[in-house]
Amino acid sequence: MPSTQTPPIAGGAIDPPSLRPPIADARIERVDAARVRARLEELHAQGWTMLLDLGAADYPLRTPRFDVVYHLLKLSAAARTVAEVGTPERMRLLCGVEADDARVPTASDLWPSADWAEREVFDLFGIVFDGHPDLRRIQMPHTWEGHPLRKDYPLRGPARERSPRPAFALKSNVQAGVPPSGETLAALQEQRKKS
Amino acid sequence: MSSLSTTPLTPEIVSREGNTMVLSMGPQHPSTHGVLQLVLEIEGENVVNVDPEIGYLHTGIEKSAENLFWSQAQTVIERMDYLAPESNSLCYVLAAEKLLGIADRIPSRAQAIRVLFAELTRIASHCVWLGTHCIDLGALSVFFYTFDLRENILDLQEEAGGARMHPNYLRIGGCNGDLPEGFLAKLDALIEKFPGRMADLRGLLQANPIFQDRTIGIANLCANDAVAWNVTGPSLRASGVAYDVRRAFPYCGYESYEFDVPTRTEGDAYARFLVRLEEMEQAHRILQQVRKRLDEPGPVMIDDTKVAAPPKETIALSMEALIHHFKIVSEGFRVPPGDVYQSVESPRGELGFYLVSDGGNRPYRVRTRPPSLYNLQAIKAIARGNLIADLVVTIGSLDPVFGEVDR
Repeated sequence: MPSTQTPPIAGGAIDPPSLRPPIADARIERVDAARVRARLEELHAQGWTMLLDLGAADYPLRTPRFDVVYHLLKLSAAARTVAEVGTPERMRLLCGVEADDARVPTASDLWPSADWAEREVFDLFGIVFDGHPDLRRIQMPHTWEGHPLRKDYPLRGPARERSPRPAFALKSNVQAGVPPSGETLAALQEQRKKS
Repeated sequence: MSSLSTTPLTPEIVSREGNTMVLSMGPQHPSTHGVLQLVLEIEGENVVNVDPEIGYLHTGIEKSAENLFWSQAQTVIERMDYLAPESNSLCYVLAAEKLLGIADRIPSRAQAIRVLFAELTRIASHCVWLGTHCIDLGALSVFFYTFDLRENILDLQEEAGGARMHPNYLRIGGCNGDLPEGFLAKLDALIEKFPGRMADLRGLLQANPIFQDRTIGIANLCANDAVAWNVTGPSLRASGVAYDVRRAFPYCGYESYEFDVPTRTEGDAYARFLVRLEEMEQAHRILQQVRKRLDEPGPVMIDDTKVAAPPKETIALSMEALIHHFKIVSEGFRVPPGDVYQSVESPRGELGFYLVSDGGNRPYRVRTRPPSLYNLQAIKAIARGNLIADLVVTIGSLDPVFGEVDR
């Protein structure tokens, strides 16, 4: 919830990932949706064994609108000691996705762990992963409409309609003297007298 | 991968080919440590296929965080992994500091306090894991031993931050005030008490034939599968891969502490138990080293009034301090645009944050890499072919926290 009285100060950066501060947290690469599958296959073959994370971000004013963000780690399953692991290489692959045809080929056959991550991105951003074996919503209910983590999705929903009061509690009925229970009527009339 | 689930096992598609039947376990099952529904396809007592259904605790923490100030977002982020709140806030704080470009200006005492709480929270979290894991297996008394120890740690959190569970004590730029008087004496008492309590726990469980029967050779995960399924933390190290973020990508000066990264090669539930116990002992080792560093006084907050509100006592004396304080409280601070990935070793594995700032006073995107989610996902590979009774051991040994899985 917006907890402060002051309105948000938008930074105004339309494409923040392109404004790289000098932070060496990973090797960074950018691909478009058409080439991402080939690039992922290549990386998988090169020994990037772990798909550390798969997420997305929404930049509504930018073309392409979405980024699917892959974080990869070159970790050998045979590394039995800390020295053998060392500092494994880490890579961030940013894949731009168009707004009107938000589709990306799946990576779940290369890294099985992409399964739930892709379902989550599909659920919360509405990006479709072509070839995913079981693309269903994962966090939101299956009947949900809309994709909550998109920037144009409101933080709060409309005020919920209050459930209707039972007939005997309606003031008009109390006045007409048709409540099923005398007790409620007495209590309500008492209350009216007081007010 | 042959172990990938290809068909969703919804109750509508009840497959009764051969002798299998579909059984729903949870979401209110006590062994699921939260709310997890497992739709099982079983043949007799054997699990043929498992389809975990998550999302029951989804509270939109990422969305909430993106609509709060940089400093406020921390309060909701601490509630993701509610058993290790300091790991969450530490990771978020480190990432935000990198974006702000102040990561190398954090006072060393603040770094030591961060390590202190990261390790305390590791012990506390493993205490909850061990207690509840043993309850799942029918051993009720272990719970009292572990929760007693955890209570001491929660007391320390309360002393420092004012709240037992979510102290919100680590802040962007340092810590919220120095450790209170009497804190170090309590810490000393805990450090002294720990080895005896650990010996109790080992004595209760390690050579216990019932415990061994339930865990040895159960819930096997080989190193290749663990890496492919993106399993991290103790569960990965129990499969033999010595990947620990504290060693691979050190933060908060972890490279200057002496500790081992315990590994096993069996990859079963018992190996995970041993790795976690040893990890608690290594955390104790780090605590002893931190304790020595905490004797030196020093600042615990960065000296930069653009990020950290100036101390309260200066406000009455200096106009500038008052203005800075007012600005930070009323509209937060701006963070230069850019994106960053930062990870820490949480008790469950690699916890990561991918933060994007558009230059405003709220984080533009807060993407979490939740270790529990990926660790839990591996249950699809682990549970196949095992008994239903062992499923409870499997969930327990992976130690998922559903606040974090669902966020």
